[in-house]
Formats: sequence, C-alpha cells, structure tokens
Amino acid sequence: MTLRLAALFAKELRSLFASPIAYVVLTAYVALSGVYFFQHLLNYNRLLFVFQGEKLGSSGFDSGTIPLQVNSLNELFIPAANDFSLFLLAVLPLVTMRVFCEERTQGTDELLLTTPLRTWEVVLAKHATTYFFVMIMIAASAIYPAIVVTRSQLGLEHLLALYLGQLSYGVAIAAIGLACSSLTHSQLVAAMIAYAIPFALLDFAWLEPQLSESAAALLREVALLGHLQSFTRGVIELRHIVYFAGGTLLGLVVSMASLELARAR
Amino acid sequence: MSAKVEAKAVHKRFGEHVALRDFTLEVEPGEVFGLIGPNGAGKTTFLRILAGYRLPTSGDVRVDGVSVVHERTRVQERLGYVCEQPKLYADHTVLAFLRLMGRLRGLSGGRLAQAVERGVERFALGEVRSRRIGVLSKGFRQRVSLAQALLHDPPLLVIDEPTVGLDPRQQLELRGIIRSFGGDHTVLLCTHQLSEAEAICNRVALLERGELVRVTTAEQIRSGPGLEELFLDSTLQAATGEESR
Repeated sequence: MTLRLAALFAKELRSLFASPIAYVVLTAYVALSGVYFFQHLLNYNRLLFVFQGEKLGSSGFDSGTIPLQVNSLNELFIPAANDFSLFLLAVLPLVTMRVFCEERTQGTDELLLTTPLRTWEVVLAKHATTYFFVMIMIAASAIYPAIVVTRSQLGLEHLLALYLGQLSYGVAIAAIGLACSSLTHSQLVAAMIAYAIPFALLDFAWLEPQLSESAAALLREVALLGHLQSFTRGVIELRHIVYFAGGTLLGLVVSMASLELARAR
Repeated sequence: MSAKVEAKAVHKRFGEHVALRDFTLEVEPGEVFGLIGPNGAGKTTFLRILAGYRLPTSGDVRVDGVSVVHERTRVQERLGYVCEQPKLYADHTVLAFLRLMGRLRGLSGGRLAQAVERGVERFALGEVRSRRIGVLSKGFRQRVSLAQALLHDPPLLVIDEPTVGLDPRQQLELRGIIRSFGGDHTVLLCTHQLSEAEAICNRVALLERGELVRVTTAEQIRSGPGLEELFLDSTLQAATGEESR
C-alpha cells in the first residue's frame, strides 16, 4: 500500500512540475508576496520617520514619540500576512483545477482506476502532492516575514504561528479546489467554483450590522479570515486548526465520493 | 495461470439509455474470447465493468469467483487492462511509465526490474525505451499499453479494440502476440473487425443493443457461414425484432 501510494505521489509530482502552471504560479506568488511586503515595509518606514521627525530637531531619535499601535506587527507583519493569504487564494485554484479534470479529459483515469488502487489511495496521493506544493509555495515566501522577525522584537513563535496558519489555510483551500476538480470535466468550471467558495466565505463583517447577534456570531465562526487572523497575531488556538482541518477533510471526502459516484454512473 | 470469468445478469444503465441488458456470459480459463457487435452494442461497457472502471447497475462479474462489485481491487490484481486508443501518461518515458505501472500493481525491487525488462523485450520496445510516450507512433503506444497490462503476469487480459488505427503489418503482428497469450492467460477482447475475431479467438460472442445475441466457437465459424454472415444475420434479426416490438 505504501509503495503504491509513494509511486502515485511521485507520478503526481512529476506531472505537476511537467506543466508550466506550477512554475508560473510559484513565481507569481513569491513575486507578488515580495512586492507587497516591500510596499508595507516602505509604508512602515515612512510612518516611523513621520513620528520620529517631530522630535528629531530637538533631541534626536526618540522611540517614545512613536504611538504604541505603530509597530512592526501591526504595520508590517499582519498586513503582509493578509496579502499572502489572498495571493494563495488567487493562485491555488490554477494548480488544483487540473488535478482530476486533466486525468479525465485525457482519458488516463481509465488506466489509473483499473489498477488495484483503492479510491482513497488515488485521492490521498493527489491531495498530498498538492499539499506538498502548497508547502513549497509558503516556504518560498517565508523569507519576508523571517526578515521582520529577525529585525524586530517579534519572536520566532510569531513566525511559527503565522506559518502554521498559512499552511492550514492553504491546505484547506487546496482541498476544496481539488474537490471542485473532481466534480467536473472542465478545468475552467473547477477553477471558478474553487474561487467562488473561499471568496464567499472570506469575511462577513460587511453583513453583520444587518443581522441578529446570534446570526452574526455564527457567521464569524464560518468566516475564513477570522480564523486566519488569530494565527497572524501569533495565537495558536485549537478551534482554528480544527476549522481548517475540517475544510481539508471535507475536500478529501467530496473527492472520494465524486470518484466513487463516477464509477457508479 | 489463467482465469475464469463469469458475468451474471449484468445490467448497466446510463440515464435513460440501457447499455447492457441482463448480460450473462462465461469465459473458460485459457480461452481467447471475443466480443463483437455494432457501435453501442455494450462491448466496451462490459469490459469496463470487468476491469472495475465502472460498476454495473445490477448483476455481477466474477473472476475466479471474486466479485468485481464487492472486491474490486482483488479482481484488478488478477487482470491486465488495455483500453481503446491507448491512454497513457504522455510525459513519461516508456521505462518510467512501465516502472510506474509496475509499482502501482505492487511490484518492487528486482521483480519490478525483471518485469519491465521482460515487457520491453516481449514487445520490442528497446529502441524507444527512453523516449517520451507522447512522441511515439500509435503502434508503439499500443505495445506499451500491452506491456503495462502484462507486467504483473495476470491470469486475465482484457483488451478493448486492440488493433484499431494500426497499419496492416502492425495489426498482423499484434494479433500474433495476442493469440500467443491464449492457454497461459485468459484473453477477453472486443473488436469491430470480424476478421480479427475470426483469426484470434476460440469463441466469439455477438452483442446487439446491450444483449447477448449468440456465442459461437472458432470451429463453427470456420465450418459454417463465417462470422460476417452470422453478424449480419443476427443484427438483422435483432433489428426486425425491435421493429415488430
């Protein structure tokens, strides 16, 4: 079983990196993250100069003049992490859309599904490959927050919390995207649904004033960003991990059910 | 080592369309058995059910008594499947592809290396072993497809339209190869080409609109009116029956 899974994992990895999409997506994600991180860094520096400049004339550098809320966590770490998560959401469906669809449109699913692999093995190998790619993407962008951590009072635990959050979130988004890919023959349709679901769940703050307190509280539990922001602030809570793990599990289950249904159709 | 195949009351429906209707068939170990019939007769549907790619709506197919409905992977371990128009991983080289398919069937180490080497030799793939499958001719791709199906030396070989799209020389070559599998393996194939069925098979079943019309042996074909006449006669009878219904 392990051998078969490993063989399929290697095959999926090979297919992923045989297509230019993987390189384009990886480059786009790292480049966008870098550009926006640099932009936040410039803004943060500008703010520091503004606040320090008020006192520079008389007594030189005085960090006491900088308001407490203007710090690297609020001005750099959190906005950059929010951007990273949006970029992940923007590029991941481009990777996930092909995983099951391509196999179907090229007819190679007939070859794969007539080997003695269980459905869960096929699904797990395909999901695991994509999760691995998510890990590569996130690791490639780690250099930027790592700079903040080494040049500020923020501890390593902040970086770890941020990356645990980004990974849980990225894997859940990928799992939903893969489930979409397993449901349709069209890569375009798979990508559109994979965009629509996370974007619809992103944030409900705009809707809350129209709702009762209990309904608003329920929506806060459903919203993606709320769960992610806790990690960004350096807080690791089990309920947020369970939320993303639940999304991942849902993606896996839908993919498996979809393959089984296709067999019965 | 060959397998017995038993299909019992197999029914397959795609929406309103009935692809197989109460289809019952027995294939004895070591036979080269052909399924013939016009387009849409249900030949490919039956092979796909047997190979575990599709589930029947009702009924069952057993290979050596093992049910494809209840123990799909156990049946798949006992068969090699060659689908119509070989659909292979075009970005793999022949060797990489054969290694992958061997691993997916549980082979590893020395057994895998031996099986791949045997496949390359048996199907004369030596000159293309390092080429990408995507650039190979149809004939070579068909050979690669057969080689992957036989890597684990299965007792049952299932082939869908083995020679479609090949030139006459390749067709002859491939028919010879398939014929040579009989005895050691059970071979179940479907084809549009009556001459092919006549040349390769020990027995032939004629399907028409998802139903088994008749089963005939090679001797009956050779001593009787020939497969072409039987085919036309049976399809005509089926069409007349359909009209009078």
